[in-house]
Amino acid sequence: MTTRTSFGGADLARIAVFAALIAVLGMPPAIAAFGGAVPITAQTLGVMLAGTILGPWRGAAAVLVLELLAFAGLPVLAGGRGGAGVFVGPSVGYLIGWIAGVIVIGLIVRADRRRPTILRTSIGVVLGGIVTIYAFGIPFQAGITGLGFGPTFLSSLLFLPGDLIKAVIAVALTLALWRAYPRAFGQTSRRPQASSDTVTSVNESAPTTPQA
Amino acid sequence: MISLYRPGTSPLHRMPAGRKLLLIGVLVLAISIYPHTLWTLGIAVAVVVAGYLIAGQGISGLWRQVRMVWMLIVFTGVFQLIFVPWPAATITTTRILLVILCAALISLTTQTSAMLDAIERGLTPLSRIGVRADRIALLLALTITVIPVILGFARDIITAHRARGVRPGPRTFVVPLLVHTMRFADELGEALVARGLRS
Repeated sequence: MTTRTSFGGADLARIAVFAALIAVLGMPPAIAAFGGAVPITAQTLGVMLAGTILGPWRGAAAVLVLELLAFAGLPVLAGGRGGAGVFVGPSVGYLIGWIAGVIVIGLIVRADRRRPTILRTSIGVVLGGIVTIYAFGIPFQAGITGLGFGPTFLSSLLFLPGDLIKAVIAVALTLALWRAYPRAFGQTSRRPQASSDTVTSVNESAPTTPQA
Repeated sequence: MISLYRPGTSPLHRMPAGRKLLLIGVLVLAISIYPHTLWTLGIAVAVVVAGYLIAGQGISGLWRQVRMVWMLIVFTGVFQLIFVPWPAATITTTRILLVILCAALISLTTQTSAMLDAIERGLTPLSRIGVRADRIALLLALTITVIPVILGFARDIITAHRARGVRPGPRTFVVPLLVHTMRFADELGEALVARGLRS
């Protein structure tokens, strides 16, 4: 699956912007504003939304970009974590699971390219955002900690309530975004888009692009 | 965005990023797969502490790293103690801590730009199976510059909420953030296409 046609400019922009969004959702100020005193980070929520909004391949690319930046030494993971140390700890399986999970979410939620329904979005988010991520995370954790599969599974159940809440929120946000800004779900830029507001938009965004 | 890098002139700082990744990677692998006793674990502790001293981080730098992962270590340790006797629990928990501390040395002594270059170089051989290292490098650079923009959107939304006395929740905070973000993505995409990044 790695030899697909390469991403165009619009795809690159969406991938980069969403990777940045996931990073911002993991930052403490966003969390404080997010739910008050609940000690969960919104980062997994961002991962789930990458699948529902960007679709499987661009979504997975966004998560991969985020993880490469973390590996390169930027504190972009939840609560300011990052660096190579994260990738040798017991939770590395969950980071791998994020990528697989986003692909599963995207494939299920965006299967028929029509509006995301509440049923399909819920199934996708639970199967991809929870089952798939745990399916990668738990074996790695069991291997690294040397505990068996059973105890590790039990310990991961501690995080299940938080993840279920995030799944519910992800579904609600996906449907709300569809109503507020359906263009966000735009399919692809394989063929050049003929949008009417090109000239003004380019001028507006020119100062913010790097190496312009 | 402040990276985890700590400037210095130690031998580790001066080593090329690729070679350093390999060296510390081997060390991490050795510590994690060797069947430790308390004695060999002591040697591993000494090696990692020496690594921090050589890298000019000092004991305080080491402690700072420990504090960053203390929750994970406590969580792991408590669960180990529930299921296995204490010597085994100590060995496993310490081993996990050591491996993380050891790998963190890479990030502490390598500038993010050098790491990004190393990643690009490492991905270049994959061009035969269709991975475009230059595109990935562009994506990484693009994302770094976009993070402050998205953070700005988030701050604007929080300020606007405060001005109106709205209590921020998932829907009132994240939906506007998503709309701002995706609209910005469209503009950025058009700018990229205008600069020749068509496919």
